[in-house]
Amino acid sequence: MSLTLNRWRFYVTPERVLSLCFIVLLAYLVVVPLFMMVQETFIVHPLERFQIPGSKVNDFTLAHWYRFFISESAYTFFYRPLVNTLIISFGLSFLALLIGGAMAWLVVRTDMPLKETISNWAVVPYILPSWTLALAWISLFKNDRIGGEKGIVSALTGFEPPDWFAYGLFPITITLALHYFPFAFLLIGGALRNIDAQLEESASLVGAGRLAIIRRITIPLIVPSIMAAFLLSFARGLGTFGTPAFLGGPVREFVLSTSLYGNLIGQRPGLGYLAALVMIVIGMFVLYMDHRMVGARKSFVTVAGKGARLGLIELGRWRWALAGFILFFLFSVIVVPLVALAIDTVMLIPGVFSWENLTLHYWIGEASYSIGLGTGEAGILKNPQILSALKNTFSLAFVVAVVTCLIGILVGYAIVKRRGTFISKCLDQISFLPYLIPSIALGATLLAMFAVPRGPIPSLHGSFLLLVIVCSISALPYAVKAGISAMRQIGGELEEAALMAGAGWWTRMRKIIVPIQKSTYFAGMLLPFISVTRELSLVILLVTPTTQLATTISLLFTDRGWYPYTNGIVFILTVVVVGCTVLSRRVMGTSLAKGLGG
Amino acid sequence: MPDIVLDKVSKSFTKQTQAVEDLSLVIPDGSFTTLLGPSGCGKTTTLRMIAGLEQPTSGEIIIGDSIVFSGKTGAFIAPAKRGLGLVFQSYALWPHFTVAENITFGLEINSVGKKEINKRLDEIASALRLDSLLGRYTSELSGGQQQRVAIARVLIMEPSVLLLDEPLSNLDATLRMEMRAELKRLHRETGATIIYVTHDQLEALTMSTHIALLNSGELQQFAAPLDIYEKPINQFAADFLGSPRINLVKATLNRDSLIWNGLKIALPEPVSPNCPNEVLLGLRAEELKLGRAADKNALVGRILTVLPTGADWFYQVEVSGQVLTIRHNDAVPFVYDDSVSVELNLSSIKVFDDLGKAVL
Repeated sequence: MSLTLNRWRFYVTPERVLSLCFIVLLAYLVVVPLFMMVQETFIVHPLERFQIPGSKVNDFTLAHWYRFFISESAYTFFYRPLVNTLIISFGLSFLALLIGGAMAWLVVRTDMPLKETISNWAVVPYILPSWTLALAWISLFKNDRIGGEKGIVSALTGFEPPDWFAYGLFPITITLALHYFPFAFLLIGGALRNIDAQLEESASLVGAGRLAIIRRITIPLIVPSIMAAFLLSFARGLGTFGTPAFLGGPVREFVLSTSLYGNLIGQRPGLGYLAALVMIVIGMFVLYMDHRMVGARKSFVTVAGKGARLGLIELGRWRWALAGFILFFLFSVIVVPLVALAIDTVMLIPGVFSWENLTLHYWIGEASYSIGLGTGEAGILKNPQILSALKNTFSLAFVVAVVTCLIGILVGYAIVKRRGTFISKCLDQISFLPYLIPSIALGATLLAMFAVPRGPIPSLHGSFLLLVIVCSISALPYAVKAGISAMRQIGGELEEAALMAGAGWWTRMRKIIVPIQKSTYFAGMLLPFISVTRELSLVILLVTPTTQLATTISLLFTDRGWYPYTNGIVFILTVVVVGCTVLSRRVMGTSLAKGLGG
Repeated sequence: MPDIVLDKVSKSFTKQTQAVEDLSLVIPDGSFTTLLGPSGCGKTTTLRMIAGLEQPTSGEIIIGDSIVFSGKTGAFIAPAKRGLGLVFQSYALWPHFTVAENITFGLEINSVGKKEINKRLDEIASALRLDSLLGRYTSELSGGQQQRVAIARVLIMEPSVLLLDEPLSNLDATLRMEMRAELKRLHRETGATIIYVTHDQLEALTMSTHIALLNSGELQQFAAPLDIYEKPINQFAADFLGSPRINLVKATLNRDSLIWNGLKIALPEPVSPNCPNEVLLGLRAEELKLGRAADKNALVGRILTVLPTGADWFYQVEVSGQVLTIRHNDAVPFVYDDSVSVELNLSSIKVFDDLGKAVL
């Protein structure tokens, strides 16, 4: 009897228990909400009773589907936003690929000077909140369409930017491309770095010229990374909310994410959930295409690794010119926007450039209905609402960083230990699932799941916990990927050696596994901390007045046209996020590029 | 100290493939037993099953008096309680510990007293010449030093059985020779049973008292090294042991003789009539002799390639359409295209049927 117990204990290993627990937990938090959301598209919500004659709440209905896809208003609800979304996503992905790819090639393959500086600066646009550039665009190019104050350009030059330039698809595409090009830079740069020089050298030995080598050897080799970068930017662009809201709102140009938000928060939740569903379907389709097109070729990137060093291409007299141009570009997309935002926060009346107009009112002033914009709100650093939102943001970021780090360690451990088994594959797939779901749609699924009590689980709407859950789920794919690669690196034998010495699981974790991977975990915590700090799309549907975050509260101020507050908050977030990145680099030698995992 | 018994042990990782099949083996107490075979033959899996890191699908493993695993009763004894030490192929030294911490970790978590730990550490460190390295981190050590730390870490636990998983494969050639001698010395001094996994037949021949030769999960032969070399039980065993590879030539088996290329080899005793006629004859490089003049009892060949290794000269010789590798260490070497005589000087007769089974 005791012998059987022994055998039983061999099978009930920590990694099996962990795997099963996480599969159940993740299924509950990721898969079930997807189904709940689909269900929401078929039922009548309280506000919709009056739009659908003769219906009661929770009745089954096809009205949402009819309205969204077929009715006369389908064009406004669905087709127009869909087309806009696709135009923007394709546009921004191409543009990001072009910018990031060209920079990566210059940095990795040529003798351009100042590479280090450029590499460090090139990831900053991604660290900034995605809508920083949108706000900066408004500060710079605002015309008189949205309220009397002038943008900086118009105030300084008298030139009034046309609507198509100031608002709508054009600036949305540009600003998002400028936000997402670091993906392409990191992914393509990594792939270029890993190409075995011998592959190119053999081509040149049989007589291929430099252009032929680039076209026939280099580019085909990095196609998987190009695709990956393209799809990543595409999927992220799809789910982003802030930028299209800020830049599209004034000209009533909607995309799927803003249409989702408008409907879900407004009178038509059913349509909102449908928009979310469409976004998820597009996201999955994109990933399926990725799988179809580059699945078999993925191995290319890892082929090399240890190949000979590549010879650098000499740029001759273009060296400094190109470096200068890139630095100027980075300066314009990083420093100029931040300065523009900062300027906005210290001008009492926006758009009036005179010394008398300089003020710290929006930072430290008392609430007043007569000074400046007359908002009746205290300055940012004295405003209890803003301060509590900032506090919420940083608590949330910290908690999520810790939670995802722990999950990363444990899931990575469970997957690697049980490698090759069905359970391991299952866990791997399920933790990757959130990657496919555009962030605002992920928020929608959790709203569908937790807005009302279900069984023993109370409604989590308006709770801090729900925010922790949604942010953790969204960071999960990165955390698990980092955990897996960390575990792979140390290999199983280090742990087995401790097992042979008689160390129990807890001792092995505490004394061997975790200490060895310390720095990896720290890098792994940085990414979720930064993402949460500047997250808007993911949480916009889930915050309530008590759980307001810095990003969501800045959206409220934007709605009222109180840009100095919005810009000031974004400025604070930016400083914190960049500060964290720099600090962690100094202290731990970790880089964000590592966390993103290329 | 205990014999280690494997009784009909099988292990499969997936439904289709069998990593180890019906392996029965008695590893004698105090022996230096090598599990030898090509990669994927199940030798490491066998070692890990003995260690308790893998659980067999069926069968029974007994160490001394205790059944450490039984497929029937479900008995299973945890790895740390089997009195074994395992040295991993990668050494698996913990990079965040110093040499001393690596060595004493096992004693510490088993709550051995500080004084006792220090005493044992001193002993083991001087025995393995690690005294001056105790404060270093393992990444600062050379391959040979790392290996000594890995062995010290295991020996300090005073195991009665030492398991070594390809411990020399990460070392360069000269260091490997040194470590072979060191391991033999270790075996002599500790008197522990050593189970050693390798794919290197030379290592197995030079170090072991017993070799268990495995191929695709099945035991081929279990015997002393020279017994396997001289009397391989099948063609695989004949082919796997020995360098250069054994020459296999077609021959005809009669009742009391063997005919190869018209050359008659008398058999010590007549074979049974149901033996096959067409057989493969195994000829090791040192069992063939080269000469200048053609003898009536010799074949004529032609030198194709000369392969000097320093101590030995090997020749590839074409004999009536077949290429044979022959060792010949006479003062005056042959050169390419020389015409030579080839004689036999068999130390044992190795004949295999068409299934590769030894016939005699």
